[in-house]
Amino acid sequence: MTDILFEAFIFPGLLYVLVWTVGLYWFFRKFMAALHKRVGPSFNGIAGSYQTLFDLSKLLTKESITPVGVNPYLFSMMPLFSLIFAMLPSAFIPWMDGSVVIDTQFGLLALVVLIGIEPFLLFLTGFGSNNKYSFLGGIRILTQSISMETTFLLAALSPAVLFSTMNLGTIVEQSSWFSFFILFPGFILYFISLLGLLEQPPFNIPDAEQEIVNGFYTEYSGTNFFILQVAKFAEFMAIFAGAVTLFFGAYKGLFFDSFFFFFIKMLLIAIVMMTIRAATPRITLKQMLSFSWKYMVPLALLNLAWVLFAKSIWFMGV
Amino acid sequence: MNKIRNILEDFDCEYIEDYKKVWLKTKINSKDDLLSVAQKLKTEGLSSLSTVSPTDFLEENIMEINYFFEDLNTKRNLWLKVDLPRDEKLCEIESLTPLFPSANWHEREAFSMFGVQFLNHPDLRDIIKSEDFKGLYPFRVDFDWETHEKDIVSNMNKIVSSFKKEQEENEVDLDIDSSETILNWGPTHPASGPIRLRVHCDGEEIINIDPDIGYVWRALEHLVTKKDFIGAIVAVERLCFMDNINSMVGYAMAVEEIAGVEITPFAKWMRVLLGEVARVSSHFMGLGGFFNNMGLHTLAMWNMDTREFFLDFLESYSGARIATASVEPGGVRYGLDMSMFDELQKALDKFDTTIDEVDAIFVNNPTMKLRANNVGVLSADEICQYGLSGIVARASGVKTDIRIDEPYAAYDELDLKYITQENGSAKDRFVMLFKELKNSVDIIKKAKAHIQKSVDNKEMNPTKDHLVKVPKKLPKGEAISRVEWARGEVLMHLVTKEKAKSPYRLKMRAPSFNHTMMLNHLLKGQTLSDIPLIFGSLYICQGDLDR
Repeated sequence: MTDILFEAFIFPGLLYVLVWTVGLYWFFRKFMAALHKRVGPSFNGIAGSYQTLFDLSKLLTKESITPVGVNPYLFSMMPLFSLIFAMLPSAFIPWMDGSVVIDTQFGLLALVVLIGIEPFLLFLTGFGSNNKYSFLGGIRILTQSISMETTFLLAALSPAVLFSTMNLGTIVEQSSWFSFFILFPGFILYFISLLGLLEQPPFNIPDAEQEIVNGFYTEYSGTNFFILQVAKFAEFMAIFAGAVTLFFGAYKGLFFDSFFFFFIKMLLIAIVMMTIRAATPRITLKQMLSFSWKYMVPLALLNLAWVLFAKSIWFMGV
Repeated sequence: MNKIRNILEDFDCEYIEDYKKVWLKTKINSKDDLLSVAQKLKTEGLSSLSTVSPTDFLEENIMEINYFFEDLNTKRNLWLKVDLPRDEKLCEIESLTPLFPSANWHEREAFSMFGVQFLNHPDLRDIIKSEDFKGLYPFRVDFDWETHEKDIVSNMNKIVSSFKKEQEENEVDLDIDSSETILNWGPTHPASGPIRLRVHCDGEEIINIDPDIGYVWRALEHLVTKKDFIGAIVAVERLCFMDNINSMVGYAMAVEEIAGVEITPFAKWMRVLLGEVARVSSHFMGLGGFFNNMGLHTLAMWNMDTREFFLDFLESYSGARIATASVEPGGVRYGLDMSMFDELQKALDKFDTTIDEVDAIFVNNPTMKLRANNVGVLSADEICQYGLSGIVARASGVKTDIRIDEPYAAYDELDLKYITQENGSAKDRFVMLFKELKNSVDIIKKAKAHIQKSVDNKEMNPTKDHLVKVPKKLPKGEAISRVEWARGEVLMHLVTKEKAKSPYRLKMRAPSFNHTMMLNHLLKGQTLSDIPLIFGSLYICQGDLDR
């Protein structure tokens, strides 16, 4: 019983997600500031590290306004649902050796499905806001997730095909430097569709600030906005952790295996993502669609063929 | 020029005279001739109508309309006047919009501010002024501002009720079965600034756009008439905060012309130097704004970093970083302490060390090219038709630059060349801006070297030469001056009365007005994603849009 409570509320549950949100938020700000030739938060705490904590606690305690004319159930419940669904994948991730909360044969499937539900929930927040900008943002996120998830699924399947299992723990155990190189094209595809799923530049089309204000976030403030922000960072965590588990051998390290290496690998992905964010403008919805269906999906299929080919040559015994 | 003179001689003109080097000034006696004159001028090549500026003479009971025709290709310009009766019912004239599309908003402005009725104008609605001025003409000399401004509450109520009425009736006419909707892009939109575009769209596709401007209307043209000639520069420089020096130069030149004052070479060179520093600081904002509108803030931040150094120079010179008020009739306001050049040198060094990074990462950015290469294309023909100027015109390959066409300050001593781009797309306008930035920095270097050399040779005295005395009272007269502003051509039309202590009328023709007029033309049929991109590429500043 205490085990379950610990897992739900401390690690890898709520507290872990909150700490991750505060930490990563601060890291994003500082890293982005350096790329922008700015200082970033600097007054509170060491290198402004308390700033995000203060900001988020301020948001949490602010009055939460539900505008007249919105659907109150959709408007207030969807942020909670999206947070819960964003946190669920971490139950399937092997954070440390032998410490998976739910050890199942269908770990990969659960991961992909849970990540895939998230955009639909965000669409419902936009739909419930009864606002033109939010609705356009909702439509855009749906369009984008449908096109990006195809590649995402196909790319995420490649380790499963290679190791003939969908159990994430087994995938990690069998991964090696050699499999890393075979799966590398798959990782590239996974990473690009990751940008699309997380609405990061150049695919930050659904919450394009300059076009449709903030997309589905437009009407949100106070607690609900806080929950949506945490949900977004939990989603970051789920997708980064998925990438690290599937392609980078999760907790496996250079001299010893530890959660430390898992964390470093996630940060590396975050750094690459932020660097792209600092140097790439947004593309349009049409360009995203044609990019996704004309190039990404065929390449993802080719990648599966490559993995099958590699498997038939080097991994027949596995 | 002679051809234009010949055309005019066929009509009943009060006078035809040469004005400056590239202008012809005339007054036609009958307003009925206007359309046929304009028709002939257009076939002759004067295809842009720069602006329409009414001047209200109360005592003579005359509303004098000034038309400024320009030919961007051969640099021949015509200043045409025509008198109308001042009475509100009789004050009407044929509209030139069907012949010159660029006249559209200028005529609407003249209608809103002076009550001039333009017959056969396709879209004669109020523009710029707020709802509480409905049916009133605030720029008429006999308009009672004091009474109007006393009743603040009822004015506010008028604005609010008209807003609510529009909100209710906004979408009444739309087909309920279709997915058409009207989206407000502004005035509190993250990327719009104080302008509102009524975007009539179907899903992501734009059907048409109706810009609603006037959110930062300060009635600057009225404000200057309440100040003396020196005090007016404060209003003039607020045309737009980003490049305020060149607008002051334009105003100062017009005053000097009426006063008959020639300024010193040192002041001329200082005007070039300060003007280019202001232009550089404006272009930095423009370049950053272009990428901001595509969701990438890095370039704006980097540019701010370099821009600060240029503002440091302005601060050391005038004490203010943005609103310097440092150019006044008669020269420049302050003398120059030669150690201030160290500050400028720091800025130039900073620029030289950082500009290559910007070139590599942003000007050659593949994603930017993907976005901006084929949208918002303006052909050279459209540039002339719609009277566009500045970087927008040069990006389409039109060779127009007031610094070369009608040199002012010390620009005639500099060997300047037209910088142009070919295709006129949004990307070309961005690249154009970047080239201009580099060019301006080159000019700063040349001007700095020239001033330094002349001071060393004792040809200039930097502490005494900066200002020539301009009398406080000016004779009756009128003048126009043009300057190449950061955003394009600014035309100032100044009218003074006998023994004037303050301007009687100052018309400021600002480029953003024409550029905003183009939005509907450029965005029709595009998607919502193109609005910020094209809006940003036109380099619009709401300050000079509303004035």
